[in-house]
Amino acid sequence: MFNSIEEYLEALKMEMKSADPALIQDAAADAREHLSLALEAAREKTPNVSEADALKSIVEEYGTPEETASAYREIERRTSPSLKQAKKSDSFWGRVFGVYVDPRTWGSLLFMFIAFVTGIIYFTWAVMGLSISLSFMILIIGIPLAILFLLSVQGLALLEGRLVEALLGVRMPRRPLFAQPGLNWLDRLKALVTDKHTWLSLLYMALQMPLGVVYFSVNVTLIALALGFMAAPFAQVLWHFPIVSTFEGRIFLPYWALFLMEIGGFLILTLTMHLARAVGWLHGRYAKWMLVAD
Amino acid sequence: MVDLSLAVRKFQKEMNAGTSALVLLSVLGRSREPLYGYQIAKLLEESSPEVPIMKQGALYPVLRSLEENGLLESAVEPSVSGPPRRYYKITEDGRAALVEWLEIWKQTKKFVDANLKG
Repeated sequence: MFNSIEEYLEALKMEMKSADPALIQDAAADAREHLSLALEAAREKTPNVSEADALKSIVEEYGTPEETASAYREIERRTSPSLKQAKKSDSFWGRVFGVYVDPRTWGSLLFMFIAFVTGIIYFTWAVMGLSISLSFMILIIGIPLAILFLLSVQGLALLEGRLVEALLGVRMPRRPLFAQPGLNWLDRLKALVTDKHTWLSLLYMALQMPLGVVYFSVNVTLIALALGFMAAPFAQVLWHFPIVSTFEGRIFLPYWALFLMEIGGFLILTLTMHLARAVGWLHGRYAKWMLVAD
Repeated sequence: MVDLSLAVRKFQKEMNAGTSALVLLSVLGRSREPLYGYQIAKLLEESSPEVPIMKQGALYPVLRSLEENGLLESAVEPSVSGPPRRYYKITEDGRAALVEWLEIWKQTKKFVDANLKG
């Protein structure tokens, strides 16, 4: 049935093509490892056996591509995503400072900076598209315009989903949900209009601007504050630069206060990181709820 | 008419779902050195050659899920011939889980046996 291991792997990948790419990769690596070892063993026993003949009995024991694929799917279905997250450090300090090495923290931070830009684009597009389609509704041209606009909203929602998945680690759809083929324009519009996720996506796009502005300013303020606290003691010690400079004079702090300031800056930075990770987590849940069809 | 073979296969699958993880964990718990999938499959085959209960391919996803839950850890090592092998080793959490799993297994076995006798 299979002339080579590669053929088996191809069949396995075909069986699993709707699964998570990472899962397919795992399954293929496992099968490759097992089948080549089994083939090697079979060749040691009977040196002249052909690859196809040896594979026949090997696959009988290993399972057909369908059986193997279903075994992986079954396990994936039973493993809850929360268990798949990186092991959490148990100690208190590990949990407090582990935030710096958690990829989710950096993903959230990056997402929040990007949201500042995408938020403005989304908002502009949503408001412009909505007002243009509504105002053209009195003419027949309004309907195709509205369809095009709402389709673009779904497209942008998909794009935003990819961004959310990449940076916030929440599973989002990978393929657009195309309305059934063979619908006429009016039915298509009806399907789009009655899908509540079209409107929630539109709302998400509009809300993304204020959210993006808040994310951006809070992050920049907190990070700048923390870095300022951390840098100021060095400025005083190394370049004799005062912590505060007023008309009355220049204020220099004693060493113990500089030390406290350094610690304080580091604590603010750590808190900011925790805040970023938590907000990123929340935003991921919120985006999933708003953008994804149930 | 109920498809009997389907019902049998479904039952076997459901039975395997819990027991395969227990068996794999205990095989790795006994082993002194890390094992790769093919070795484990061979070990299982040797210990009970007459009962081919599950396909060898179904062992691998279970190994991976045990690792995801922190009960096993693995390392990929290149081999002289052929593709690299993934070696699995039990963790401390895995040993602790194994003790409790064995206890659950004993209880379940007792419960099922007692009720099957009637």
